[in-house]
Amino acid sequence: MTPVTNHVILADDARIVAAADDEAQSSAYVRHMRSITDTRPADPRPATSATVAARAVDLVKVYGSGETAVRALDHVSVEFPTGRFSAIMGPSGSGKSTLMHCLAGLDGVTSGEAFIGDVDITRLNDNRLTLLRRDKVGFVFQSFNLVPTLDALENITLPMAIAGRKPDQVWLDHVIDTIGLRDRLAHRPSELSGGQQQRVAAARALASRPAIIFADEPTGNLDSRSGAEVLGFLRRSVREMGQTIVMVTHDPAAASYADRVVFLADGQAVDEMSEPSADSVLDRMKHLGG
Amino acid sequence: MRKATIRSLLAHKLRLALTGLAIVLGVGFVAGTLILSDTLNATFDTLFKGIESGVDVRVRAKKSFSEQQNNDERQPVPASLLSEVRHIDGVKAAAGEVEGTAILIDHKGKAITPRGPPTLGETFTDIAGLSPYTLKEGHRPTNGNEVAIDAATAKKHGFRVGERVKVLLNGPAREFTLVGVFKVGTADTLLGATVTAFDTSTAQEALDRPGQFSFINVKGDNGVSKTELRSRVNAALGGGYEALTGPQLAKEDASDVQQGIQFFSIFLLVFAGIALFVGTFMIANTFSIIVAQRTRELALLRALGAARRQVMASVLGEAFITAVVASVAGLAFGIGISYGIRALMDAIGFGLPAGSLVLSPRTFVVSLLVGIVVTVVSAAAPARRATRVAPIEAMREGGTPAATTSSRRRILLGCTTTVVGGGALALGLIGGGASAVKYVGLGVFLVFMGVAFLGPVLARPVARVVGAPLVRLFKLPAKLARENAMRNPRRTASTAAALMIGLALVTFVSVLSASVKTSTTKTIDKEFGADYTVTAGGFGEGFSPTVASDLAKRPELATVTAVRPGQFKLDGATKQLAGVEPDKLTSLLHLDVISGRAPTGSESGLLVSEKQARDHAWKVGSTVALQFARTGVQRISVAGIYAKNDLAGAYLLTLSDFERNYTTINDNLVVIKAAPGVSPARSRAAVERVLNRYPNLDVRDAAELKAQAASQINQLLGIVTALLAMAILIALLGIVNTLALSIFERTRELGLLRAVGMGRRQVRSMIRCEAVIISVFGALLGLVVGVFFGWALVAALHSRGVSTLTVPGGQLLVFVALAALAGVVAAVLPARRAARLDVLHAISHD
Repeated sequence: MTPVTNHVILADDARIVAAADDEAQSSAYVRHMRSITDTRPADPRPATSATVAARAVDLVKVYGSGETAVRALDHVSVEFPTGRFSAIMGPSGSGKSTLMHCLAGLDGVTSGEAFIGDVDITRLNDNRLTLLRRDKVGFVFQSFNLVPTLDALENITLPMAIAGRKPDQVWLDHVIDTIGLRDRLAHRPSELSGGQQQRVAAARALASRPAIIFADEPTGNLDSRSGAEVLGFLRRSVREMGQTIVMVTHDPAAASYADRVVFLADGQAVDEMSEPSADSVLDRMKHLGG
Repeated sequence: MRKATIRSLLAHKLRLALTGLAIVLGVGFVAGTLILSDTLNATFDTLFKGIESGVDVRVRAKKSFSEQQNNDERQPVPASLLSEVRHIDGVKAAAGEVEGTAILIDHKGKAITPRGPPTLGETFTDIAGLSPYTLKEGHRPTNGNEVAIDAATAKKHGFRVGERVKVLLNGPAREFTLVGVFKVGTADTLLGATVTAFDTSTAQEALDRPGQFSFINVKGDNGVSKTELRSRVNAALGGGYEALTGPQLAKEDASDVQQGIQFFSIFLLVFAGIALFVGTFMIANTFSIIVAQRTRELALLRALGAARRQVMASVLGEAFITAVVASVAGLAFGIGISYGIRALMDAIGFGLPAGSLVLSPRTFVVSLLVGIVVTVVSAAAPARRATRVAPIEAMREGGTPAATTSSRRRILLGCTTTVVGGGALALGLIGGGASAVKYVGLGVFLVFMGVAFLGPVLARPVARVVGAPLVRLFKLPAKLARENAMRNPRRTASTAAALMIGLALVTFVSVLSASVKTSTTKTIDKEFGADYTVTAGGFGEGFSPTVASDLAKRPELATVTAVRPGQFKLDGATKQLAGVEPDKLTSLLHLDVISGRAPTGSESGLLVSEKQARDHAWKVGSTVALQFARTGVQRISVAGIYAKNDLAGAYLLTLSDFERNYTTINDNLVVIKAAPGVSPARSRAAVERVLNRYPNLDVRDAAELKAQAASQINQLLGIVTALLAMAILIALLGIVNTLALSIFERTRELGLLRAVGMGRRQVRSMIRCEAVIISVFGALLGLVVGVFFGWALVAALHSRGVSTLTVPGGQLLVFVALAALAGVVAAVLPARRAARLDVLHAISHD
């Protein structure tokens, strides 16, 4: 069964021209990244999982009201399957971050439904949402977002500490070894490089074994080498640990790490692609744009 | 640059508003005090001018002890002087007046003894125009059976013209017919005093001035000016008398009261100063924060060519504008305060004549100046730091490195300042002298500054320790709170330092009161060998010797002896003595006569304490030249020397000597020992039976004496603590300010915590914990400093009977708990704000 595409509404192609600017840079970036971090197995795991980790149904998000109202999401329906690395792509203002925020329970919706597993999060109050985020959702943000007063290990175990739970030590060791920062665990964020900080952030998202991890432009503030490290790590967590990840990006190279890409433009899901490569993503965006 | 300053002002309006509030409170306190004292001064000028308006000239005896205000020091004049005065050319009329004490008894049989204002017995003269009293109702007393009283007292206690009233004079209460109710000048009352007036001869008899007057009031012939009349009177009378004009008298009366007001207003201004001092920490903190937040902007301005001077001016300009706005608001607040206090004084019954508040230009100038200077000076250090912002900071991403003084330099500076402060304090306390107060003030200030300097060094370890139990209790939120308090130790420290000052002073007062209480208790335990004391309620006014003689007649009481206070001069210095029956006191006060003996009966003689004897090289038999107001220098021989006795004091004179040398023979203490074998209940009943006739007197046993001392001390403690509340309030505003800022700075971090699952309750708990850590840190610093101050003063007071240092541990613990609670309260709004933070807004990249 292929990921759901039947709800994807094709958009007016002319709207995606904005992405054109990035393209020239991107291809060079992509080649560079490939050369240093291609750890992708030749045969990606078949998308067999029947369950859906997150789902948007006819989601509408309007900011403001009246004359100045901005329709950030315009009847978006999309599903993200369990155990897969999905990317949401689109130019600035396409609504990709809004979609992620709504799906992650960080922002309310105007109409429609957003599911994490079987739970319609649009019906939850702040308390229930908080608990859901704590127990089911992991986050990786563009600007690392570590707590500066806590060391790396404390940052990684933060969600468990908030919940008052003890981390699963075996799993924690596994995650820590995977990010390769064991010797840095006692360091504070200010003593870590950007890439190291983002790996800590990714480990934090993984450590509590959430149902889904949302990553918002996780490489946006990183140089290409660190970016590739983080993306490689995220992909490994999907391949080796069976984690579900939804990543928002506007960078085709980053998107190429995903198993599948959903394209957004002007608040609508306009297309999607499986097994993307940087070039094919670029092509598709050109195609959409052209 | 001006635009940048104003933009910054607007951008930080909330923070500046909080800072401004500190200035508003401090300046309000200053302005209110100034307005109040100006208004009271003006009121009293008017009041006394009214009262003395009928008097052209007053004749009275010269004072022997010119610097003293004590009634006893001015002798009465003989009644015969009145006719002499009447014969002086230009004198139209003259009236002899007697002043003394008369206590009215209300309908319930209780003595009317207001706390503070006196209970006066006066003459209601029959000579028209010479009386300050104007009848409101009835007629003036004309015989020994009649009295008139002031309108306010009549109204308050429901006295009606025509009824019989009881008045305590010399001896048991006497009954009179109330025939008149009068106003004093234009007011219903003389500043809340109860005034009972008699006709002239009754006043002389009842107020214990037979054949004498306290003074003579004179009315001049038309065409003779007051000053002319005064010189004629002065020329006609001998050197022992003096004449003053009415206006001089009014000024003198007013200045007596005004000295009291001045003392009161200085007292209040000290607390206003403390509040402002606390405010400086908050102001400095706010501007440090603003400078830190503006670092990139300031760097940009520098990069674009702004000079250091301009950057400094920008920050100081912001401080100046804030100060002006806040000081004006503070002035308005002060006017409000003074209205409030005046209403309060009216309610209590001071009965001030109506009049508008006096807003002198000085009040405006001083208030504005204080507000502006305090603010700008406090902002000076942050402003200087702003000039050190390098242009390169404009390009730097992320947070700015906090400017830090190295901790070694800090420790050195802090310790030096504290030690110098301690030295100044010691100099002031031990050295004494005229500048003692200045040294003490400077010492206290320096100790506070020194500890404030040390604050940032202490903040981390103390926060770690204080936070530990919180972390165990509240887990992660408390841990984050603690880490955050330790992240910027300088800010934490200066926020806490503000609280430290208030708490140090409260602690100091508590330590001092506890020490005085235990010392008093110890003294009473050690020296009080009697069963009861009898004193007049209120301020220990004198009462008639008939009380002691009545008590002595009771068979249940073995020993009854009176103590009379008196002043004398020795080598030019005024000293206190007590007129006693020394032989009786030896057992009642455990007076230990170590050489010589205690004179008995009507023997003459002086007893001095060991220390006085040593200091003056007196031995038993030495003659000492004591100067008395009534009799001048008298040579009295030392009959005995006794060991240090705090209840007895330094000089004891036999009653027979006392009666020879003093005019007013009033007891202010009667000490009683019950007869052997008489139960406490019976002996006390016997005392109380006698005191029934003297409703103004109270009997106390040792336990009650201790309780009374304790309650007086507690009252003082209460007043001082209430006045320090303002300083503590400002410190709490400082905590609110720091937390609000900390939340603002950590918007993103808080957003992250919320995103990864921290609940609102946990966020609030985190902010609260941070507040508690800061406030408890401040409280602990305050306790240490306060106990030090307490110890210093108790050590200095050792020779005056405060022999035991007592640190009221339980009370201090309560202070810390209250400080923690105050921290929780201060955190309410910031915590709510933090919990309401929009998660998305907080984490979305800027």
